[in-house]
Amino acid sequence: MLRRSSILKLGRLAAQATVTAALWTASTGAWAQDVIRIGAPLALTGGLADEGKKQQVAYDMWLKRVNAAGGIQVGAKKMKVELLTYDYQSDEKRAQQIAERLITQDKVDFLTAPFGSGHTKVVAGVAERYGVPVMASVASSETVFNQGYKYLFGTLAPNGGIVQNMAVIFTRLIPGVKKIAILGREDVFPRAMAAEMKKAAEANGIEVAYSEFYPVGTLDHAAALSKMKATGAQWVFITGYTQDLILARKQMGDLKFSAPIVTMVTGPSYREFVDGLGKLADGVTSASWWHHSLTYKSDDVFGSTEAFYKEFVAREKKDPDYVNASAAAALVVLQKAIEKAGTLDKAKVRDALAATDILTFYGPVKFTANGMNQGRDLPIIQVQGTKIVPLYPTPIKAGSLRPVAPF
Amino acid sequence: MIGLQILVNGLTLGALYACLAVGFSLVWGVLNVINMLHGSLIILGGYLTWYAWLHWQVHPLAALLPVALLLFALGWVIQMTMINRLVRQPVLTTLTVTFGLDLILYNAMNVLFDATPRRITLDLGTLSLGEVVLAWDRIVAFVLALALTLLLYAVMNASRTGRAIVAVRMDRDAAELMGIRINRVYAMTFALGAGLAGACGALMAMVFPITTNISGLLLGKAFVVCVIGGLGTVPGALVGGLVLGLIESLSGHLFGPQNAVLIGYGLMLVLLMTRPTGLLGRKGYE
Repeated sequence: MLRRSSILKLGRLAAQATVTAALWTASTGAWAQDVIRIGAPLALTGGLADEGKKQQVAYDMWLKRVNAAGGIQVGAKKMKVELLTYDYQSDEKRAQQIAERLITQDKVDFLTAPFGSGHTKVVAGVAERYGVPVMASVASSETVFNQGYKYLFGTLAPNGGIVQNMAVIFTRLIPGVKKIAILGREDVFPRAMAAEMKKAAEANGIEVAYSEFYPVGTLDHAAALSKMKATGAQWVFITGYTQDLILARKQMGDLKFSAPIVTMVTGPSYREFVDGLGKLADGVTSASWWHHSLTYKSDDVFGSTEAFYKEFVAREKKDPDYVNASAAAALVVLQKAIEKAGTLDKAKVRDALAATDILTFYGPVKFTANGMNQGRDLPIIQVQGTKIVPLYPTPIKAGSLRPVAPF
Repeated sequence: MIGLQILVNGLTLGALYACLAVGFSLVWGVLNVINMLHGSLIILGGYLTWYAWLHWQVHPLAALLPVALLLFALGWVIQMTMINRLVRQPVLTTLTVTFGLDLILYNAMNVLFDATPRRITLDLGTLSLGEVVLAWDRIVAFVLALALTLLLYAVMNASRTGRAIVAVRMDRDAAELMGIRINRVYAMTFALGAGLAGACGALMAMVFPITTNISGLLLGKAFVVCVIGGLGTVPGALVGGLVLGLIESLSGHLFGPQNAVLIGYGLMLVLLMTRPTGLLGRKGYE
């Protein structure tokens, strides 16, 4: 079984390579002028391969729908869309080089940003230099958007909004919460989230009993967790990437360390967090930028959250997460801006993007002056059993906050 | 009591470090090959164990030996077909070859298993001794890591193959003149290193989320352990691993987790400057 699926996967990889090579060849030749070219540096191999593939799937879903409808309306004519993807191998420097190549050699009209705040920042710097609008789907740190870039637009809301609601709601629902212990990964997004949580806790009268960072590459959290346990905190808040959070939660179990509230950002937003923890995932809370139980109806290519969800499940045989939705939404927003501008002129499309105020299948999108999607009530979620249950906001609430069971 | 917990945490972590470094140390010490493939071989061992557990419900401890044997065979083939042709070249040549092989294996695993973290959700429970808590999977990993290291020590000292490996390590040309088939000894050594990586991967799959993302980290840890403990000695990897585990655990407690790794690397630098052979480093496996 492994062998068969392996051969299939390797075959698929070879096919992808061929398609990419074909696009490369085409890029050096003459392009038909009725095609809109969008460049997408993606992490298809290396450490971020999983995340890069999530973006790729969403881009492909959007592309198929758009081209099936004849393309994007640009002024009086409809133009098909060509997506040029290159694998930047999860390497920041390579992402920068590829962005440069896409703009100068492939002559793309628009760009999408790679996964994560750090890599987005690098690509946005290149795009800004050439005046090419770049759509960021997975960057939520304000340090990426406060550089004065005019051509960068992101579909995720600022990450500060995630924890402010949590502090208010959790302390109201579980009144005994007086102390919080915070552990964050030394990285752009997780560090920002840990800092935001500290601010939100202090603003809500919660004592911060522990607040430390662990470096990238930490293979053991036992020392930090032992110290956090000794504080007797009622709320444990840990940020990091999925492997960090699986390890931290597992080691909390090893040390019989529990608290009524255990929050991990963005762990439970990803299905693999629950798969990797089994019963240990039960009760962990988090927040997300999107959940498939949202009920938006829109006039974009997907039409509604439900339609996007159904197509994704039929295609991928699993639930979409916020990365999938945000990536598709980024291209939906770009499409709307091109249609509104009625031209492929980069500066005019940029202005149309800046003036965006629409409702998409993903939710409302309206950019603030720095290019970030404006803050709104982001979903708060909890793993209950092995299901991910939205707790907030009210329209999508499917359950109530349950304290984590002690070991 | 927290002090005792920190000590226990450090020892169990240290045993895992020793386990992941012992195969690397063997290959480096005997072949003078810095095996850049080592971290990915550990991850491959972890993935195979996870796959056997998920699809055939094979307990990771039962999978340990078959996985180690599979990787032993893979190591043998790699050494016989590729590295043996280059082993007399400068160390940079073999380092580059193993780096290339690592890229291939790393990305092949990304295609086959995705980079998604995978963990065997088989929790064996915990053992409480007063306020000190120990996870059974860590205890099992600790005991097996010690057992594997001691087994390797016994093989090196008491078996014909082990003595041949020691002889080659001490003087390759003299060993060849004595009738030892160098290429086979090299293949056996590399295969042993790969087999130990596989066994370590099987143990780690119970404790860590396995993902290709951490293969470079594991390689880095193996490197630090070898420098601290000393090359060319099996107990060196054990002592190096335990020392690094204890230092990371203690410094994480005293100076915060952000400084724990830094202090581990700091110790490596100090040892490189003051005692380049490491704590137990010797010339051969005598």
